[in-house]
Amino acid sequence: MTIRFVLNGREMCLDVAPDRRAVVLLREDLAVLGPKEGCGSGECGACSVLVDGEHRLSCLMLAAQLDGREVLTSEGLGDTETPHPLHQAFAAHGAVQCGFCSPGMVVAAAGLLGKKARPSREEVRRVLSGNLCRCTGYVKIVDAVLAAARVLRGRP
Amino acid sequence: MNVRLPVTLAELFAALEEPGARVLAGGTDLLVQLRSRAGAHGSQTLVGLERIRELQGITATDGVIRIGAAETHASILENRLARSRLPLLTAALAELGGPAIRNMGTIGGNACTASPAGDSLPPLYALEAEVELASRQGLRRMAISGFIQGPGRTSLERGEILSALLVPQAKGFDLHHFEKVGRRSALAIAVVSLAALIRRDPSGRVLEARLALGSVGPTVLRCPEAENLLTGRRLTLASLKPAAAALRRAVTPIDDVRATAAYRRQVAGNLLLRLAVLA
Amino acid sequence: MPQSIPPRPSPPHPRADGLAKACGTERYAADLYPPGLVWAGAFRPGVAHARVRAVHTDRAQAVPGVIRVLTAKDVPGTNLQGIVHKDQPVLCEDKVRHAGDPVALVLAESREALVRVLGLITADLEPLPGVFTPEEALKPGAPLIHDGRPQGNILLRAVIAKGRAAQALRRCPVRLTGVFHLPMQDHGFLETQNGVALLTPDGVLEMDVSTQAPFRDRFEIGHALGLSPWNIRIRAPYLGGAFGGKDGATVQCLLGLAAMNVPGRPVKMVWDREECFLAGYKRHPATLRYTLGAEADGRLTALRCRLVYDTGAYAHLGGEVMELGLEHAAGPYRIEHVRLEGLAVYTNNPVAGAMRGFGVAQASFGFEGMMDALARRLDMDPLELRLKNALRPGDVNPAGVRLTSSVGLVECLETVRTHPLWTGRRQWEAQAPPLTRRGVGLAAVFNAMGYGRGLPDMAVAKLELLEDGRFRVYSSVADMGQGNASAYAQLVAQDLNQDAGAVELLQPDTERCHPSGSSSAGRTTYSFGNALLKACTAMRVKLLSRAAMVLMRDELTSLELAPGRVVHPASGRSLALADLGRLLSRDDRVCVAEFLMPVAQDPPKTGTAFPIGFPHLFFSYAAHLARVEVDELTGRIRVADYLAATDGGRVLDPQRFHQQIEGGVAQGLGYALMEEVALDQGRILSDTLSTYLLPTSLDLPDTLSLAVDGCEDTGPRGLKGVGEVGMNGPLPCLAAALASITGQRPDRAPLTPERVLRALNRKPRLRKQA
Repeated sequence: MTIRFVLNGREMCLDVAPDRRAVVLLREDLAVLGPKEGCGSGECGACSVLVDGEHRLSCLMLAAQLDGREVLTSEGLGDTETPHPLHQAFAAHGAVQCGFCSPGMVVAAAGLLGKKARPSREEVRRVLSGNLCRCTGYVKIVDAVLAAARVLRGRP
Repeated sequence: MNVRLPVTLAELFAALEEPGARVLAGGTDLLVQLRSRAGAHGSQTLVGLERIRELQGITATDGVIRIGAAETHASILENRLARSRLPLLTAALAELGGPAIRNMGTIGGNACTASPAGDSLPPLYALEAEVELASRQGLRRMAISGFIQGPGRTSLERGEILSALLVPQAKGFDLHHFEKVGRRSALAIAVVSLAALIRRDPSGRVLEARLALGSVGPTVLRCPEAENLLTGRRLTLASLKPAAAALRRAVTPIDDVRATAAYRRQVAGNLLLRLAVLA
Repeated sequence: MPQSIPPRPSPPHPRADGLAKACGTERYAADLYPPGLVWAGAFRPGVAHARVRAVHTDRAQAVPGVIRVLTAKDVPGTNLQGIVHKDQPVLCEDKVRHAGDPVALVLAESREALVRVLGLITADLEPLPGVFTPEEALKPGAPLIHDGRPQGNILLRAVIAKGRAAQALRRCPVRLTGVFHLPMQDHGFLETQNGVALLTPDGVLEMDVSTQAPFRDRFEIGHALGLSPWNIRIRAPYLGGAFGGKDGATVQCLLGLAAMNVPGRPVKMVWDREECFLAGYKRHPATLRYTLGAEADGRLTALRCRLVYDTGAYAHLGGEVMELGLEHAAGPYRIEHVRLEGLAVYTNNPVAGAMRGFGVAQASFGFEGMMDALARRLDMDPLELRLKNALRPGDVNPAGVRLTSSVGLVECLETVRTHPLWTGRRQWEAQAPPLTRRGVGLAAVFNAMGYGRGLPDMAVAKLELLEDGRFRVYSSVADMGQGNASAYAQLVAQDLNQDAGAVELLQPDTERCHPSGSSSAGRTTYSFGNALLKACTAMRVKLLSRAAMVLMRDELTSLELAPGRVVHPASGRSLALADLGRLLSRDDRVCVAEFLMPVAQDPPKTGTAFPIGFPHLFFSYAAHLARVEVDELTGRIRVADYLAATDGGRVLDPQRFHQQIEGGVAQGLGYALMEEVALDQGRILSDTLSTYLLPTSLDLPDTLSLAVDGCEDTGPRGLKGVGEVGMNGPLPCLAAALASITGQRPDRAPLTPERVLRALNRKPRLRKQA
């Protein structure tokens, strides 16, 4: 089937099998490699994306469900030349170790900060609770999200 | 495998007549199942509910809250009506899965999956919710306890979907308590859960108690014996203990990778004792 | 020789990899999808022990999109992989020995075709009786996992004996015994085992793979597949976690075999999460039996123990893991008389191998459990008891090694002793809410660094001045997330007085870098860092010497390195490094230097039957504290606060140091609270991330990591490896907190709600004695 959707600000129109899993579509067909596949079953959060601003798991979505939607991955928030405050905060606060969970963490955090400018530490922990990190123990990730929230609030 | 995303109920019922059609709600259970049987479902058609407006919306009529089956857990949690009128349900939904799962999974899907560990179910049993089922033939209603027949089994007929949950507001109940015991604090499948609704007189004596337990039998379980034992009593450790014992007698748990039956049985009773320390 | 320029005060050096990883633009092996890709996958029958009568591939061969279905007879080499002992077939021919053993390898044109083909292969198996615990495996007449071994199912038995333990124990006024059971743990890295391989037209097997040991992989693949290691090129991009689980062949030999069958086409293999559980390596389950003897004042006199590690179906690093556990089994304490016996035993369980805290995480539960029991028996403060017995610099440790290296355990314990989390513990405990009980526990732990005697712990660093005046480090040791690559960049920038951005990193590539061992054993920054600093010294001399010619100086001491330049401060003249970069030939722009880790001199005769890796000389130390709440109704544990005080020598970069500690503690808390690979007759019951549980952000506390002042004189800038020590504390620490609540010392991990509730319901057994 033909699907049209906006991916990281770019209009996409492509012909795909409707049951192709969104994570495979993004990674293998479109070379958007920020979303990682850690489990394929919605248990790790590494494949997190924002769909119309909502945090979802691209391993539990099918290509057809993307039709008409706006999809954002960590790459869509910025790149190493023009990073998003979340990217900068993750790097500066040591929130990244192996980094395989990081793009998904950034997406989950972006979903929160899109709704809530001044989250508490507990709220950040809650919103990240579906994204597993095996390296950090989460302390520095939570620090980074709170720091990014401060930066974003400070913007005019 | 084909995928259809109808936008009206009429289109939905037409799509459901295709051979091999299956309803896709939030996908958080179904797509996991399908992945583990990859390659074995070539002729299926998944019919998604996510774009049908008639299956969305949360409204109140005469003390009954109608929740469209395709409402996600997160949207219910964010809904002021649901939060203020159905605190027992929202307390349970807040602990379901993780944030992204709550953004995707729907309340209708949770009911139709009919897992004894479905987090929305103990509150729905305690609230004595009804399900609304829709098909080409029209609508019918039944109690949630009658709708769910066993693990993964419901009263849905072919060509029929769950269209809404009808949840009476627990008027007059002054204690709304949900507790889930999982093996971790998020992304956990309930090992035991308890939904309790208590209505008391001004002196603190129980006028009515409703207790529903999850993950301790093939379906969620109400325990009339324990509920009756609380009637007329104040909520103290001493008065709760006989009811807790009744709960332990009533459950029929199993051993699995998460916990033993013995633990589930013991904790099923213990969870009731928590009421002694709640306001 | 020019005077060494003192390094600039260390600015915070954010990790070189942080930003790209957060943005999602860093490329892991899993992100490689070269055009023309062939998909490879293994068929694993899922039976723990069976004779293979036949593998039926006819129906599979007929599926559209299938390229080849290979079985053992298609493997050209020895068909045996393994790091020390080669006993693990790439594809099993006559026998499967655990549920993850593969018998066929499929090559297909697409991921979908691969799944279909794998579903159509069948194996004709004759089930064999299996052994699923070491106890069963050690019984006379037990079924043998491997034929023709004189020691039967024993992979390795080793003993460390010092003094006269039996006699001393008889004389001890205080004697305690204990038995401890440890579960199988999974690494839980998020990037599952994977790689991409290509056999080039000139016969070179190239592989980009998620591996901790690219240089060693060449030999393992070559041996198994009958290839010359010199015709194998391995690249190791940043890994999405490993923790020991990617040390040794995972996909490598299967991928190599696949690539050899489709020359010129890239082949990709990715294990899904279920296969990762089924076929991946694990932390050894273990049973530990202890007898501890002490004086009435708490001084330790003698210790005897027997550690039995279940190594599963193949050796992997099982013997070495058990040995390291044995070397740590008596704890970081002064004990004159020890007799430590260890066994690594084959079973039909999943293969156990390296994992952070390599055998030591298990032993820590034992020796610290005994220390807690002793403190209760003597009614002594557990911290004072540990201080009284703690190893100090110059001591002889239980393995008989004189500690000429740095030892900071006392400082760690003192840090805890004066911390409010410890001093305020009684008050905190007394304020427990209703139905909640509170307890505080502590643990003293340590972990060796490096390979130990008998195996050269060597690193060879290569540093290049680029033509644009920047520098490139040829990292030879894979970065699995611990940040060693960033540490290398920082060392170079600081040592050569350059801006952080002036140093670029090349990840390990066996063709371009020099062999420097594996990313393991807490050695990566120590060994390679030392080699790199030597290369920096050579580079400085080179740069100053070449600049002297241009700047017309007759002695090097008048020249200095500045960011991007060589300067002559007296005259104000300088030469840009970019000019030097263009001036010098490629050969002259490169410096290579090596470092060999020192080993214990005059190794004691205490250890017997150790083929390699005994004893160790360098250890990191830590004291941990946990404040724990237990719910009386459910047995659920909440870790309210966690403190880790660590001696890792001098801290090169605080952020990376604390990352390692916080991460190790997190993994240790998972081990303590919830992680267990559940098995039934060798079959894994918990093969998904919903049944094998990793801690989420709501399960872990805001761990506080403190570094104590220390300096390991042999280390680069005085540091020691801290990758592993954090892992070892949480389990004994939480067990101690729990014991203080229930009066019962937990003897089995993880500390599940069910076990905790049972302990709460039992009458206290370990009473304090007046």
